[in-house]
Amino acid sequence: MNIRLLLIFLLLFVAGCSEQGKKIPIEEIDMIGIMAFDYVDEKIKKLTVAIPQYSKEAEKDTMVYSVETDLVSQGIVKIEAQSDRKVVLNQLRVILVSEEFARKGHVRSIVEHIYRNAEVGNKALIAVVKGRADSILYAEYPDKPNINFYLNDLLRPSFNTAFNPNTNVHDFIYATTNLTKDASVPYLELLDDKVEITNIALFKEDVMVETISPNESVYIQALLGKKSIAPLVIEMPKDTKISLNLVKSKFKIESNKDKHQPKLTIHIQMKATLSEYNIEHLDKLNTWKEISHLEKSINRQVEKDIKAFIERLNKQQIDPIGLSEYFRKYTYGKWTRAMTDKVLSKLELDVNVKTIIVNVGTLK
Amino acid sequence: MRLTQKKVLTKVHVLFLVQSCLIGTGILQIPQKLSAMGYSQAFMPLFFALIATINLWPMLWLNSKFPNNNLFQINEILLGKTIGKFINFLLIILFTIVCIDAISSYMLLIQSTALPEQTITFPIICFLALLIYLVRGGIFTIARFSIMAFFITLPMVLLTKWAIQKGEFSHFFPLFNFTLQEFYEASKNGYLSFLGYELILFYYPYIIQQKSAFKYATIGIWISGVLMLITTGVSVMYFSEWQLSNIEYAVLNIFKAGEYSFIERIDIIGMTLWIFLVYSTVALYLWAANEGFKTLILPKSQIHLYILVISIFIMLILPISKYLKMKIFTINNYIFYLLLLWPIFLILIYLFRKKQVHQ
Repeated sequence: MNIRLLLIFLLLFVAGCSEQGKKIPIEEIDMIGIMAFDYVDEKIKKLTVAIPQYSKEAEKDTMVYSVETDLVSQGIVKIEAQSDRKVVLNQLRVILVSEEFARKGHVRSIVEHIYRNAEVGNKALIAVVKGRADSILYAEYPDKPNINFYLNDLLRPSFNTAFNPNTNVHDFIYATTNLTKDASVPYLELLDDKVEITNIALFKEDVMVETISPNESVYIQALLGKKSIAPLVIEMPKDTKISLNLVKSKFKIESNKDKHQPKLTIHIQMKATLSEYNIEHLDKLNTWKEISHLEKSINRQVEKDIKAFIERLNKQQIDPIGLSEYFRKYTYGKWTRAMTDKVLSKLELDVNVKTIIVNVGTLK
Repeated sequence: MRLTQKKVLTKVHVLFLVQSCLIGTGILQIPQKLSAMGYSQAFMPLFFALIATINLWPMLWLNSKFPNNNLFQINEILLGKTIGKFINFLLIILFTIVCIDAISSYMLLIQSTALPEQTITFPIICFLALLIYLVRGGIFTIARFSIMAFFITLPMVLLTKWAIQKGEFSHFFPLFNFTLQEFYEASKNGYLSFLGYELILFYYPYIIQQKSAFKYATIGIWISGVLMLITTGVSVMYFSEWQLSNIEYAVLNIFKAGEYSFIERIDIIGMTLWIFLVYSTVALYLWAANEGFKTLILPKSQIHLYILVISIFIMLILPISKYLKMKIFTINNYIFYLLLLWPIFLILIYLFRKKQVHQ
């Protein structure tokens, strides 16, 4: 028995004999935080990566490498040749693609490569950049800690940017491979020393086709069932502008189950607080009568906006909300993308909005 | 008939032996295996559980006629020494290949997720060493291990919550949207993930209350059925049809949806915990192979287990192409379907040779 115990004890020392050098210590690893892709030609893309620099002796806090390559993994190998350490993808947080790259329909192949790679989590966020994608990595942000943290935090969900679809690798693959849904991705612009989410880019299958404003994207997010929605700004005729903070929004979509003459009825109920208003001939909203009058005009306006917006998308046969899913789930047999397009182009819409203003603040 | 074996398994042991042997590495891949049916695959595990319950009945009926013999001995009694030994030899090879299949698919998973920059020889040695320890403890140890494995791994069900939140419930509709061809294709590939209950043919003699074995084995089958139902249900909600048919380890991707502020890669935790489930499956198959091996030669010796483990090890590290391996595993799996029908065949022979057997 004692000899067995001794043997087990001795086994602990066997660890010392394990092959050294196979596992690289973490100080000698460069972890890519951001990848940016630019279009060169049909085969070649330009890959730029940002890696946080932890050495105090370096002047800058981020290393940026750029190579031209046809395969992503080959690009990483080329970058390794420039870097002094081993380059890994484990900490990849953000994938940027230029608008040209997205419009040519190359995003799917690189995202699929990253999706296949088990080292990378599925939560790397995707964004489209106006102009060149690498310009964001090369730009200086003097008041920001590090581009890796800055971009990741910017793209992550937050209350005031609830219009942002926060598309990650899984979401993108899910939406592009789903026959009844299209991907939507935040659209970034570089402004001097800031990056701003100015629009939302919409994809049709693999190709980016259109951008929409954040305010329109709020409707998409609301119809996708996102609970906390950004402040909703509604512009009404006669120079009236209203900003609502949504407390709770509920929606229900009814389908007539007929894919040949598709018709959807969308019911939306918004409970909101009136955070700010700018109404002509009216300094204050004094009575509940005025408020209920306002509610009605908000209803009319939002109904009109949503209807116009969705019809614009339907004309281009893009379906970021997944409206065609309401017909697929009643259709037996195989569903195809052509059927989605057909449903969208014929789709008739009926929008019912009910706004309830729950309070107007504490000022009389 | 001999009365030498010691009866050790209680009702609860039977339940968990059946339950954990069902969930091995199969559940990881079941959404992909069933993907021929697209979104309609969600309720297939219930169908499988029903088939398994029906299939269990002839097995236990056969066993109840030979309450002190396992299938290896029954083979010899009913088919005669020579044919019986030959069939037993085939069964041993069959079970050994199942072990190799399960271990290699798990090790492949571990290598591609947790240890991408290492060879898996050392992990395999560790795995097999512990496996010897487990199997040498006999069926009682394996049963207790199965109970432990179930309760340790059960909380993993909670890790699917993010995928459920993100998933779309409407994917379940329209219900039963598949053709017969798709149904056949999916059943053929998917039912393999539902094997494991047939091993009751081998540990039946060890069960104390043999009368209630059917009831508890059925409960075990349905617990696994529900767990698989959760897996396929969540996968259908969370994935698109393309993803269902292209993602090899759907469970891994479901775990990837989650995130805590202090843990980022929940999938790695899930995958490493999965080893309990692999152990409970592989140990039981290896135990059965070992028992069979003992009936062939040198029944008193201890050497059989080591021979089996060493041959498993050699098969695992041999540089056989993945294609050839897959071919062997597939053929093996189809032979397994024969094993499920084997008790019915034996019952027929039993009915013919009833008098001879009882002499």
